[in-house]
Amino acid sequence: MDPNQQALLLEIMELEFTAIDLNLFLDTHPDEKRALVLFDQINQELTMAVERYEQMYGPLTASGQVPGRDHWDWVEGPWPWEQTF
Amino acid sequence: MWIYERKLEYPVRVSGPNPKLAKVIITQYGGPDGELAASLRYLTQRYSMPTSQAKGLLTDIGTEE
Repeated sequence: MDPNQQALLLEIMELEFTAIDLNLFLDTHPDEKRALVLFDQINQELTMAVERYEQMYGPLTASGQVPGRDHWDWVEGPWPWEQTF
Repeated sequence: MWIYERKLEYPVRVSGPNPKLAKVIITQYGGPDGELAASLRYLTQRYSMPTSQAKGLLTDIGTEE
């Protein structure tokens, strides 16, 4: 996996880790303003990063297949357990 | 419903084989008190939760595990 792809994937992993934690926090603190603002911000960054990644390197979920391609990219490697970090 | 994402929640670095550690990890992962069993328990217990906050929390913890 080339270094740029790896770096973008790590950025996505960090953003999603943050989003999951904020999600769990907000479940028990649904009116916490700072967490709500941060969640919106992280989520927006995450959506943009995933879109950028999928355009360049292929889908992260099966529904992330880039439209108009003449090849099903989903089954192309490497899979997460085949990568080194 | 389950959706697979082709990435990890947290990066894993395996430096070499370690059967002793592997035994601990597989127990934590699939054993009777492991992550898999716990997640299914959360996802089942949520059906009898009285508040929507608890239903949401158990749904999300079960999903995360």
